[in-house]
Amino acid sequence: MKYVSLVLISHSYEIVSGLKKLLSQVQPDVPIAIAGGAEGGIGTNALDIQTAIESVYSEKGVVVLFDLGSALINAEMALEMLEPHENIKIADAPLVEGAYAAVVEAGLGSSLSEVVRASESAKELVKIHR
Amino acid sequence: MIEKEVTVTIENGLHARPAAQLVQQASQYQSKLELVIGQQKINAKSILHLMSVAISEGQTIKVMVDGEDEQEAWTFIASFLQPGNESTLR
Repeated sequence: MKYVSLVLISHSYEIVSGLKKLLSQVQPDVPIAIAGGAEGGIGTNALDIQTAIESVYSEKGVVVLFDLGSALINAEMALEMLEPHENIKIADAPLVEGAYAAVVEAGLGSSLSEVVRASESAKELVKIHR
Repeated sequence: MIEKEVTVTIENGLHARPAAQLVQQASQYQSKLELVIGQQKINAKSILHLMSVAISEGQTIKVMVDGEDEQEAWTFIASFLQPGNESTLR
């Protein structure tokens, strides 16, 4: 695989479904999987996250982005359920901006750590200059 | 070093998709590629820099290109920012 893959996690299926649609338009070559909602409602599910990671996993690496705190618990649980995983990283980043930065960086063929850095740098982004 | 003003004619401005394309293609040049928007100077090869500015259609910005392939890089960025207007660039 040429590109680092992304996994998007949200408490809402519609959020990550819409975000994936946006990112696929920006950069159609980067593999993206989503895990959103739980049991048809709001929440996150470790098994869904695990399945999502497995579906886009490659040696090049996977960056996992999540929306709100408790999604992290299930993301970490999903990583524990997977085989040893040096090349799967959870990014400490805002979901939309971080995923956008990550998909562009990944599309340049950048390494896992570069993609993680790009997404985490989105935290520092000033959106309105007054 | 090439330094010129360009009026952006990308329809609806430099939104998410063209910004990503700009970074992708700008990264193929060796030259330093910078855009000056008002008080801000940004690196056109950095998606985070591009995300931090809003460049709208009709806005005039300064383009600064510096490096061995600056002529090629300038031609690229000028035609990128002014699609369909290549003839007036040189």
